[in-house]
Amino acid sequence: MLTFLIRRIAAGIVLLFAVSFVAFSLLYLGAGDIARRILGENAAADTVALKAHQLGLDRPFIVQYFDWLGGALTGQLGKSWFTSQSVSIDIATRLPVTLSIVIGAVLLAAIVSVLLGVLAARKGGWIDSVVQVVSVIGYAIPNFVVALVLVLVFAINLGWFKATGFVPLTVSFPAWIASVTLPMIALSLGAIATVSQQIRGSVIDALSRDYVRTLRSRGLSSNRVVYRHVLRNAGGPALAVLSVQFVGMLGGAVVIEQIFALPGIGQLTVQAAMQSDTPVVMGVVIVTAIIVIIVNLLIDIAQAGLNPKVRLS
Amino acid sequence: MFRRKVTAALALAAVLALSACSGSPTTSDSSGATGGTLTLVATVAPKTLDASGAEWANQTPYFQAAYDTLLLADADGTIKPFLASAWQYNDANTALTLTLRNDVKFSDGSALTSEVVKTNLERFKAGTSSTASALRNVASIDTPDAQTVVINLTDPDPALVTYLTREAGLIASGQAIAADAAALATDPIGSGPYIMDTASTVIGTSYVYTKNPNYWDPAIQHYDKVVVNTVADQTAALNIIKSGEANGVRLASNLNLAEVQASGWTVNAGEINVGGLLLFDRAGTMVPALGDVRVRQAINYALDRPGLLQALQKGAGTVTEQVFPSRSTAFDSALDSTYSYDPAKAKQLLSTAGYASGFTLNLPTSPSIPPAAYTLLQQLFSDVGITVNYTDAGNNYIADLVAAKYPAGYINLEQGGDWQVAQFMISPTATWNPFHYQDATVDGYLKSMQFGTQTERDQAATELNKYIVDQAWFAPFFRPQNSIATDAHTTVKMLPTNVYPNLYDFQQK
Repeated sequence: MLTFLIRRIAAGIVLLFAVSFVAFSLLYLGAGDIARRILGENAAADTVALKAHQLGLDRPFIVQYFDWLGGALTGQLGKSWFTSQSVSIDIATRLPVTLSIVIGAVLLAAIVSVLLGVLAARKGGWIDSVVQVVSVIGYAIPNFVVALVLVLVFAINLGWFKATGFVPLTVSFPAWIASVTLPMIALSLGAIATVSQQIRGSVIDALSRDYVRTLRSRGLSSNRVVYRHVLRNAGGPALAVLSVQFVGMLGGAVVIEQIFALPGIGQLTVQAAMQSDTPVVMGVVIVTAIIVIIVNLLIDIAQAGLNPKVRLS
Repeated sequence: MFRRKVTAALALAAVLALSACSGSPTTSDSSGATGGTLTLVATVAPKTLDASGAEWANQTPYFQAAYDTLLLADADGTIKPFLASAWQYNDANTALTLTLRNDVKFSDGSALTSEVVKTNLERFKAGTSSTASALRNVASIDTPDAQTVVINLTDPDPALVTYLTREAGLIASGQAIAADAAALATDPIGSGPYIMDTASTVIGTSYVYTKNPNYWDPAIQHYDKVVVNTVADQTAALNIIKSGEANGVRLASNLNLAEVQASGWTVNAGEINVGGLLLFDRAGTMVPALGDVRVRQAINYALDRPGLLQALQKGAGTVTEQVFPSRSTAFDSALDSTYSYDPAKAKQLLSTAGYASGFTLNLPTSPSIPPAAYTLLQQLFSDVGITVNYTDAGNNYIADLVAAKYPAGYINLEQGGDWQVAQFMISPTATWNPFHYQDATVDGYLKSMQFGTQTERDQAATELNKYIVDQAWFAPFFRPQNSIATDAHTTVKMLPTNVYPNLYDFQQK
């Protein structure tokens, strides 16, 4: 298990370097005259040149990259070119917002998917059909459309939730709930559609296995068989799908945060990418990559816990 | 959630000249209730909160909350005392003497002195704000005593007093600058009516300010707290309006005005920009056809301005053929019908100029301008025989335009005072005269505007405006409406000189 972990961590580190270089290159190639973009149409040419020099944009690409890399390796991610905020602080401030809705959405997706998947698998018939149809619809509708409808109905018309903005959990729990519920639901629907189908298939498959018949013949209740034994076997693939959904949600949060004006990583990424704010984009890319690597590692460990064969592969 | 209003505005170059003003600070309308929180929505975040890198326009509220300016421009378009209680030029208009108030403290407890003002002005001039060059004519600054500042100029600058009502006039604490100037970027230390609450602020998204308990002019502190949220997404901004989660929202587009009003909000309108084609290559170095005044005039005749206004702004705005603002003494409404839409006349002029079979114009496009604008232009020009080819300039749009890579370009630009317009768009060194086109007649007018008496300046500006309209230096379309939506509890006075009203002019009903 230790070798397995070391191998995965080493691969993750190599991946980080590769991602940082590719991202920096793309930003460099796409930035254009960034000093002019920062200062806008009112700035005189000499001011623009001074700004470019201040930011070190008049240096060769490779020097700029290694300058950034050197800073990053010592924990210095620089400052935003467009807000002067420290990138580290920017990310630290915004990560809890995104994680609030993404982790909430994953948990919601996990719970609802298990309930729907098991229900469909066990009941079959018209219930199964309804769950499948709803899943397909849930998968097909883009989450931003869901978000807009949710805002219109539950925030603007009914006034139950906030239409925009984020209230930290530490400030007020009810206000936090009011600010994250709709984004969470909008973000989770696609995952629910996918994961519930995965669980449904796995449960149907497991229910037909010999060990289930054996367990039942020993007099175990149906619920106990399903929730203690069948789900344990069906959980592996579902966990893998859920981890993919988590990564997908980090991307989906970009749109959701825009619609709900949430100060999260997604919104930061959009703003920074559109402005070619290199320090911020690089910071977000690296932090996101680290999160994805860690999540995958955790999923691998969980998979290994559920199925010892994984450790040998 | 209730709000109030105030006063303060920008300035007009026309008023400045030999003015010697003094009097009470601000003229604040204190009829409304006070207290509560004012929540505003702006479309962009400030690049820094350090006064030396400040920008105005959409970023004004972030700065006005924390800082005061030396002078104040109000909603009537006049310049008033603020941190400086009086100001006076010498006879040659080359030295401006400011007398400072003696009761002003910064939020760190330090006092306003002439040395602090000098430090700030010098930092701004050397900085990299978009308008750092506003102080280009400043040669030196003297501080004969603690309350007197003398700004010495290399040449008269008819816009200087105006600049001191906006970003160039913002004064930060000298003590804070000396201690850690870099920290001002995210923690502004000024003498303004509010103090930034750094713990509650999320830079780039939400800026929170609390009332300054020691402010020298409590009459303009209409709220206990001010929150400025940055919301670039128009859907989110509209949702904020519909759900009542703010009191004042800057609308980045004119396409949803009816929806905003249907939500019970008031649309407060102004016009501060001019949008249209800037015909840069007037000497014909890149496109010989543009060197002929008849061709430039033909381009103007080819424009269906009312149609463009309706299609691109849903009619919100005013068509114009001038780059000088309607409040300017240079403005002449009669000039707005110099080139009424007349494709036949355009064709005839092109034919006379030797371009009967037309010519080709290469223009850049930007993702920030609706594609419909480009399609419409292409069609209008095609109707008179001019072929337009587009190149996607992407993020480099503005950079490419001011680097003289295209013979002309479509853009919205701010309409400042007369001298600002001249320095920004017309003079041979202007940022928006990228081919550095020079014309002896124009140079003569510019000289009179800079060195003449007030009467001579006004006359020169008027004649300059008429001349460049006749010479078709530009092909403006319209002045698009800029709007601030306010909820049912809030009033605001729009400024004639800035897209965002003064913070002090928001008030509770």
